Amino acid sequence: MDSALNRVYTEGEKALFAAFDSANLSGDARDEAIAALKQNGLPTRKVEAFHYTDLRSLLRGDFTIAHVPSHEDARKAGAAFPRLVDGAAVLHFRDGHFLDFGEAMPAGISVSTRLPDAATTNDVANALGQLNMAFATGGACITVDANAKVAQTIGIAHTPVATQSLAASRVAIEVGSKTECTFVERGVGPDGNTYLHAPATDLNIAEGASVTYTMVIEEGADARRLGRLSVWLAKDAKLKLNVIAFGGKLVRQELNFVVQGEGVELEIAGINLIGEENHIDITSRIDHQVPDTTSTELFRNVVTQRGRGVFQGQIKVAQPAQHTDARMACNTLLLSDDCDFSAKPELEIFADDVQCAHGATVADIEDSHLFYLRARGLKEDAARRLLVKAFVGEVLDEMEDEALAETLSGRIDAWMERHV
Amino acid sequence: MLEIKNLHARIEEDGTEILRGLNLTVKAGEVAAIMGPNGSGKSTLSYVLSGKEDYEVTEGSITYAGEDLLELDVSERAAAGVFLAFQYPVEIPGVPTMTFLKEAMNSQRKERGEGELSTPDFIKRVREEAKKLEIDFNMLKRPVNVGFSGGEKKRAEILQMSLLEPKLCVLDETDSGLDIDALKVVADGVNHLRSPDRAVIVITHYQRLLDYIVPDTVHVLSKGKIVKSGDKTLALELEEKGYSEIIEQAA
Repeated sequence: MDSALNRVYTEGEKALFAAFDSANLSGDARDEAIAALKQNGLPTRKVEAFHYTDLRSLLRGDFTIAHVPSHEDARKAGAAFPRLVDGAAVLHFRDGHFLDFGEAMPAGISVSTRLPDAATTNDVANALGQLNMAFATGGACITVDANAKVAQTIGIAHTPVATQSLAASRVAIEVGSKTECTFVERGVGPDGNTYLHAPATDLNIAEGASVTYTMVIEEGADARRLGRLSVWLAKDAKLKLNVIAFGGKLVRQELNFVVQGEGVELEIAGINLIGEENHIDITSRIDHQVPDTTSTELFRNVVTQRGRGVFQGQIKVAQPAQHTDARMACNTLLLSDDCDFSAKPELEIFADDVQCAHGATVADIEDSHLFYLRARGLKEDAARRLLVKAFVGEVLDEMEDEALAETLSGRIDAWMERHV
Repeated sequence: MLEIKNLHARIEEDGTEILRGLNLTVKAGEVAAIMGPNGSGKSTLSYVLSGKEDYEVTEGSITYAGEDLLELDVSERAAAGVFLAFQYPVEIPGVPTMTFLKEAMNSQRKERGEGELSTPDFIKRVREEAKKLEIDFNMLKRPVNVGFSGGEKKRAEILQMSLLEPKLCVLDETDSGLDIDALKVVADGVNHLRSPDRAVIVITHYQRLLDYIVPDTVHVLSKGKIVKSGDKTLALELEEKGYSEIIEQAA
């Protein structure tokens, strides 16, 4: 085992530690987290969970701690990115700091803008947890009252203001029993800015509550994102999660689900659009702990140019979790010779009466489809885009919010114009 | 309208020569039937006309409306008015038929320098044509050809042909997989499209389709060449005597 003493740090690691030293971040938990990062170094491909995303070599420097931006600068930075949902009540994070623009929250929702508590371990595979623990500045604790039916979408918007900011924030959402609510979390930034965005969200869904959550990853072309969403689901809770990722340069998004109540229905569907030299890694872990729960997970990935994609899907079914029904599918279109995608399904099943299925496919656009469309007069580009759109369309078609699906559909079209 | 001279074509992948010196002339307003046994090159001819890249033309020429057809790629040929009704129309999951039809019509219009159709005009046209072909409009809300029966697929091909109004229609074994009722509907659809400025090439194994789409000329294809041409009575003769006798006589 390497020790911290003789370790040679990379530029990325040095930048992290220098950022920590330069910032006035105090507290035992932060110190312990940074000590763990120093001790372990960033995970390399030798760490199984990072086998396809060697963080140590991929995370270069070029970021530093940013101060709280002025309201004016913060507004300007956000104005460049029109909202995804009209009429949403949005919590704004800029460079990892919470900024209060006075947006009113709907009835049933209360927000306290403090950094939520979190737990972390010093395990090398938990680098994202340690990073967030060490650096998170802005935070919000969102509470949805029991029995509330909240029609208005709650937005959580992350945007950089400074160049090269290390922006870490933490949001905790407590969803009361038997509520209905909708969240859209979005990380978006300009190209040409090498910021590092490290958001963590904890979503705790109480008994019988039903949550729709959309995560949109639209980080700038040069940005790095190391994000984690952790979800706990109580008895009869329902979560419909969509993850739509367009880029940055380096994206690792971890999705952790603890299914701890009977009758839980968990539905995850996502689209990853990976072009240029982007590296997008979705690593999910679903932990079925109790009987009679279901989970479905579907990712559609489109990879082109020199893009690299990763999907790691772990499903754990504990011994008591009889009658678990877990289905996972990862379908990928590879559109160029220089792109690649790694899919790793991982099932750990200790119960004997369960249904678990996983499948991964990788293909190019079907020649016969392309020829048929062209024979009807579609130009090759238009035909390819129509087929790519059809491939990802299934995810959009199933989204609850049709207007949001429409908006995202437009963004996908714009992405295809540039990449397909 | 179409003049094929000494056409040689091979499968690009393995170099197998399929068309070996094919000559064929089809005039505007003409319905030409191409008949021939399995493996004679009928489908290859239809693919070469539509520009499929899997085939390589090694010799000869195809002149269409005074232009060198071989200079155009697949979508340019379509926009220029060449339409291939597929023997086996492909199913394309996820692409709604209406979206596909609209894109096809508008991209051809655009290529020809015409304006795009408005959505109401487009829907009206599709409804009219679908009705003539006894196609349930709801079927068109499904993805392209997905879950269509064999007959529905062929009707959908003729629907596309009616909407796109090509100048040269190539029907590749449109009768395969059709029952008699569907055959009549499809033949009616094709007959509606007969006009003095449009040519139709009907590729078929059997005389049966030609009872409904009566050809002006009939050409027998064998080993990649037209070995005999005649009027509609040639089809009847083929039916009676079989391919081998006619091909032997011609040789």
